[in-house]
Amino acid sequence: MIPKIIATSISAITIMLASGLPLAAKTAQDQLGREIRVPDDPERVVALAPSITEIIFALGQQGRLKGTTQFSNYPAEATRLPKVGSYVRLDLERIVALNPDLCIAIKDGNPKEIIERLQSLNIPVFAVNPHNLGSMMQTIQKIGGILNASAKAKSLVEDMRSRMQKVDALVARIDRRPRVFIQIGLSPIISAGTHTFINELIVRAGGINVAAGNSAYPRFSKEQVLALAPDVLIITSMSRSGAFEKTKADWNRLSDMPAVRKNRIYTVNSDVFDRPSPRLLDALEILTRLLHPELFKDGP
Amino acid sequence: MILNLQYNITRLIWISLILLAVLFIAFSLGLSIGPTKSGMRSVFSALFSTNASDSILYSIVWRIRLPRVLLATVVGATLSLGGLVFQALLRNPLAEPFILGISGGSAIGAIIGILLGLSRFPGICVTSFLGSLATLALILVMSTGKSILRKDALLLSGVMVNAFCSAIIMFLVSITQDARLHNIIFWLMGDLSTADLPQVIVLGAILIPCFIIVFVFSHAMNLLMMGRDMALTMGINIRAVTITLLVATSFMVSATVSFSGLVGFVGLVIPHLLRLVLGPDHRILVPACLFGGAAYLVLCDLLARTLPQQGEMPAGVITALIGAPLFIILLKKSRK
Repeated sequence: MIPKIIATSISAITIMLASGLPLAAKTAQDQLGREIRVPDDPERVVALAPSITEIIFALGQQGRLKGTTQFSNYPAEATRLPKVGSYVRLDLERIVALNPDLCIAIKDGNPKEIIERLQSLNIPVFAVNPHNLGSMMQTIQKIGGILNASAKAKSLVEDMRSRMQKVDALVARIDRRPRVFIQIGLSPIISAGTHTFINELIVRAGGINVAAGNSAYPRFSKEQVLALAPDVLIITSMSRSGAFEKTKADWNRLSDMPAVRKNRIYTVNSDVFDRPSPRLLDALEILTRLLHPELFKDGP
Repeated sequence: MILNLQYNITRLIWISLILLAVLFIAFSLGLSIGPTKSGMRSVFSALFSTNASDSILYSIVWRIRLPRVLLATVVGATLSLGGLVFQALLRNPLAEPFILGISGGSAIGAIIGILLGLSRFPGICVTSFLGSLATLALILVMSTGKSILRKDALLLSGVMVNAFCSAIIMFLVSITQDARLHNIIFWLMGDLSTADLPQVIVLGAILIPCFIIVFVFSHAMNLLMMGRDMALTMGINIRAVTITLLVATSFMVSATVSFSGLVGFVGLVIPHLLRLVLGPDHRILVPACLFGGAAYLVLCDLLARTLPQQGEMPAGVITALIGAPLFIILLKKSRK
């Protein structure tokens, strides 16, 4: 009996060695429902999108992070990590050269072909698919789970939930929802439809997304925006100097628009608003303040 | 113009060997230069090692750089050969798959294939071939008749077909809103980075018979260049030769387009350069264009990979930067 066990385990070990998999591996289900074998204690992680980098830092697991993508600029420490191309245009060779024992990919953005090729090179790829605030919190817990930081992930998510509830409680007191147009593309004018984080943020912050609709990132002409009569117009800036001022001046010529009459054209940091990372809660609080300054009259 | 048609097999072998050596050097450079700094010697030892299957350099050389350099080789060979064939058949030194709009037509077919969610082979390959045949027919209809010998008619119809193709491409791109958009845009600029070794082998298997067909008809192209009457007296079935060559060329061009997107001007630069150096005999130009075009695109792709500090640019950007000015120079010269 005992020799049999030894024999089986020896052959099992041989198979594992031969297939190039690390001995200590666990199986985890990623957010696409795939069973992925990941190392027990991943030491060389490459994050394939800025949001994933932010999540890993928020979990305090940056020690495991060996590479990240071009626009991973938050927190500042992340800019010092090696870059493996941008998240839509990953550089396979740079990823492989970092010898990762785990890559974390995002479904919405990372090209499927590159992910498949990474897997064919025996690099485990754990895919996340945050598509609303709820699933973003699951993403954090999933990543926390595979990086052995479940406790930290839990407290992070609890903190996010309590901040969300505070906003909900505040917004419950409002009597009127302003019509909001968020401009995420300057030329052409692009906004965000119903099935986006931005729509969820607007609704939660007590506004009406005038761009709501089936198309995720619809295009608009100036005339269409005017016809939608937004009370508030928010431009997400890509930190290009002067771009916001110029766009605002453009809109200000259309004095019939309620947002222009009430002087409610604002800019927000696009990184905070369009990355599915814990900073979306900052975005929610910023947006609530912009839409309902009356709620914050007596201090925060 | 009287061609010296004395066929010299030793000359063919020498020229092929020299260009093959150039291709070998380009190939070695392409394999050994990349974001991961490593000497040529270690690259080659990784390339020929048998048991180093888990070293990083082995993966990089075998799984990333080799497919890419091989893809550049076959795409470069195809496009330069395509240019040579079109220049001979249309008797126009400025003809080239990209300029004529053939590439644009196959790009439309390929994008439709991508949007339909087809696999790269055979799905996208077929839609792209249909697209190229459609534009080829359009160009032939527009430029035949009395004006077949006039350069301007052909070029103008090519320009119009190209403009029309890019309008359709922009239309398709602007109704696409998901993540496939990024892929399409990079692919349109000529992208060699997505190749996988099995795919490249499939592509090579498709292309080699086409290369052989073109080589078989290389002497017929010589005779066609001397005029229809001359070709007829030499016993050439002009119609059959023209159609075979046009279909074979369009097929191989669309096969490469479906893999690498729009890489322009390779078919202009290489045949011209080689014709300048080697003379007008197609029996020598066909193999020379194969090896020369391959080496040229491997080097262009190497530049595209190494010039930007971050990431890389599409190889089509480099070939157009070199090719478009050359096209203008040639146009100006041919007017004199």
